[in-house]
Amino acid sequence: MHQIEMTVNGQVMRAEVPAETTLLSVLREAWGLTGSKLGCDVGDCGACTVLVDGLSVNACLLLAVQVDGQEVLTIEGIGGFDYLHPIQAAFERLSSIQCGFCAPGIVISAKALIDKNPHPTEQEIREALAGNLCRCTGYTKIIEGIAEACRIPAGTDGSA
Amino acid sequence: MRSFEYSAPGSLREALEVMEQHAPDFKLLAGGTDLLVDLKHSLNGPTLVMDLGGVAELKGIEETPSGLRIGAMVTHTEIQQSPLIAKHAPAMIAAAATIGAVQTRNMGTIGGNLVTCVPSLDSGPVLVALDAQVTVAGVDGRRVLAITEFFVGPRQTALAPDELLVDILIPTPMLGRATAFRKFGLRKGQALALVNAAASIAVNDGRIIEARIALGAVAPTVIRATDGERVITGKSTDDVGALREAAAVAVTEARPIDDFRASAAYRRELIAVGTFRVLEEALALATSS
Amino acid sequence: MSEKPTKEKPADLGDLLADPRVGQLPAVTRDPIPAVQALRVGANQQTPAVGQRVTRLDIRTHITGSTRYIDDLAFPSMLYVKILRSTEAHARILSIDTAAARAMPGVVATLTGDEIPENSFGSSYQDQPVLAVDRVRHQGDGLVAVAAETEQQASEALAAIKVAYEPLPALFDPLEAIRPDAPKIHRDNNVYASKVIIRGDVEKGFAESDQIFERRYSTQMIEHVPMEPFAAIALWEPDGQLHVYSSNGRITLGRADLARTLQMPMNRIRVTATFVGGNFGGKNEIRTEPILALLAKKTRRPVKATFNREDEFVASTTRHPIIMDYKTGVANDGHLIARSVRLILDGGAYASWSETTVGKAAILAAGPYRIPNVRVEGHAVYTNKTVTGAMRGFGAPQVAFAYESQMDEIANTLGMDPLAIRLLNGFTEGSISHTGQVLQAVALEETLLTAAKRSGWMEEGT
Repeated sequence: MHQIEMTVNGQVMRAEVPAETTLLSVLREAWGLTGSKLGCDVGDCGACTVLVDGLSVNACLLLAVQVDGQEVLTIEGIGGFDYLHPIQAAFERLSSIQCGFCAPGIVISAKALIDKNPHPTEQEIREALAGNLCRCTGYTKIIEGIAEACRIPAGTDGSA
Repeated sequence: MRSFEYSAPGSLREALEVMEQHAPDFKLLAGGTDLLVDLKHSLNGPTLVMDLGGVAELKGIEETPSGLRIGAMVTHTEIQQSPLIAKHAPAMIAAAATIGAVQTRNMGTIGGNLVTCVPSLDSGPVLVALDAQVTVAGVDGRRVLAITEFFVGPRQTALAPDELLVDILIPTPMLGRATAFRKFGLRKGQALALVNAAASIAVNDGRIIEARIALGAVAPTVIRATDGERVITGKSTDDVGALREAAAVAVTEARPIDDFRASAAYRRELIAVGTFRVLEEALALATSS
Repeated sequence: MSEKPTKEKPADLGDLLADPRVGQLPAVTRDPIPAVQALRVGANQQTPAVGQRVTRLDIRTHITGSTRYIDDLAFPSMLYVKILRSTEAHARILSIDTAAARAMPGVVATLTGDEIPENSFGSSYQDQPVLAVDRVRHQGDGLVAVAAETEQQASEALAAIKVAYEPLPALFDPLEAIRPDAPKIHRDNNVYASKVIIRGDVEKGFAESDQIFERRYSTQMIEHVPMEPFAAIALWEPDGQLHVYSSNGRITLGRADLARTLQMPMNRIRVTATFVGGNFGGKNEIRTEPILALLAKKTRRPVKATFNREDEFVASTTRHPIIMDYKTGVANDGHLIARSVRLILDGGAYASWSETTVGKAAILAAGPYRIPNVRVEGHAVYTNKTVTGAMRGFGAPQVAFAYESQMDEIANTLGMDPLAIRLLNGFTEGSISHTGQVLQAVALEETLLTAAKRSGWMEEGT
């Protein structure tokens, strides 16, 4: 067993896990952060995308022990029911999401993009989402939502 | 995943000692984008997984007297963002951009990509076109190999069971060499290559004085199309026909297979088109600089 | 183009595009987005929907990651179930030995098909075992379920189960499966669902036609690949009621199947539908629910099974591949006179929703075209392949590919514009469908013309 400690959404979290535990399972099962989803379990679908030290990664392909001491941001740390990140607000306005299973990963990938590049081109948005699959709505409304979010000043919920 | 022990050595020396002790019953963890998938699907996993994330000697990109050194644990994203690579070997950035998706590029490493040694590995062709060397280390010391010697067969490198890949060197004479890369996949994102092509060209006085053509996913390992290279060496930089001829000859040097992604016949078409395009692009770069 | 234009034949497509009806369909809006609407609407407040942009009621929890899908649910002391699947496409099961698996760490119980009160299910024919007992009919048939403290322990225990098979000849091509001498996968006939539609006299129609076009079209098997793999949880309430949580999209049918397989009254079964992370027709039947109910009973603990991606590919249903033989007789002016179609649906190892699929494929197979003489026959055929069932459109996309491909081929040979031949033959107001329905509110012509206009077909096509 390995003692691990990491900052998750600004909070110090600890757990004792066997080496083969993935970051995704410790987030979901030990800490109840079920917003990150298990879709394919092989790093293709992006439903488990989280930020580790600011970089988007597939939480299903990282061992929890590898992330010991690092900083993790999950969908739960981005917005909540009463406070939406501009990307989330735009997704809500445009009904970008249908079944919702891909949404947490897509919001994280979009955030990773616009944190570095606040005014991406459509092509850059498409490239940033190459690792996030959606099976319902197609990508048009998701891409439009991200483009829309980039026109909103940061720090507002975009609903005004 | 089956259970295993985990170790995270803090130095290369420590890593090599652990490897010597456990060989061959261990797996090295670099970016994990291939290894974790394998571990999840294997019923007879290793007893030890050694994470190389804490080994400083395997990191970093730097200029050295002998060339540009790229640590095996450098991620594809780091390659994409490196000013040194942009300056000396920008085709590596073009190749890195075609690997997986953002998440996999943030995790995956160039060393991890090379040691998988699958025929379609995307980092390989540009490195072959740039005449790269690799350093491998074991407890008894280090060896330097040409990248083409490192690739032995499908999923088989020249690494001994207790050796690991330390770094990749682009030799000084190849820095800034005009190089181009093309990948053909079934889609733009997250695709395995049907055909990869890279070429580097040096010109002098209106003539091509050196050319290297590298092809991926068309033979058991990444190959050099040396017959194709000979066709254009010494030719005038205006001789577009020679580029086409070289591309046609390169097709004969490849051994593409039929599989569910593409037929061998289709791959041969792609080799001809891809080789011509990378030669054309590399030549344009060489003559414009 | 034709030598003798008829009244129905448009002389010039340009005129048609100038038709005042074209463009009446609303233009694609690129207007600024109206302000976000209130999330919750008061009980007695009307919600104007048509023409309004409305906010999805569930979207806010989706985008904040707070929607609880089934795999986000857990109950105290819950066990995890994994299912051992057949490695053979077609075989007799000689023996199943679970002793070693039951002794593995963390394993609490196992279940085999002979423990299921009524071990069969299916939406039209109950030909599919919940867990195979004496015979497997495709790689993916479940054999043994293992409940363990962790998912990993359950997976590891599967490797310790010994199954002895006697391989049987397997069929992978539905055309081989319909031959009289083919081995039988169930009972005495591999053809298990058929639909025939006859209108007019196709032989007479072919005789009257100037040209005959014949071609075989085929489509491939497609998996729905919902982002969320299938999952279910079963537990027994203190009052003896069975409570099943499931990502099944048809819970009332699921409840009926549970009552049947478990041989218990339906009013003792409660099925809770969870948010579904993508269905597309692939979550329309029970999968593991009866197994979980029985394991929960055996262990007196809640049990859960979540498919991994491999399970999803081999043990859920897929879209039918169809081999489609089309023969169409046309007049030289482009009018369709007769069409005969034979559809052979690869039905996989079990019936699932094939009966519905063969019906819908047959009904739509002649296309949205006025053809006086039509004969369609469709047959769903057992093979030793992954089960084919419901998927968006139930056979409609496959036949659309075939009839539209043939329309292009006819237009090409006759030298007609592909749009013109569709306008010439397409259903109009009051047309009678191939099954005898008088059609109303037919907007095919306007739709085609609007699409032609918006896509710039005329510019590119000429």
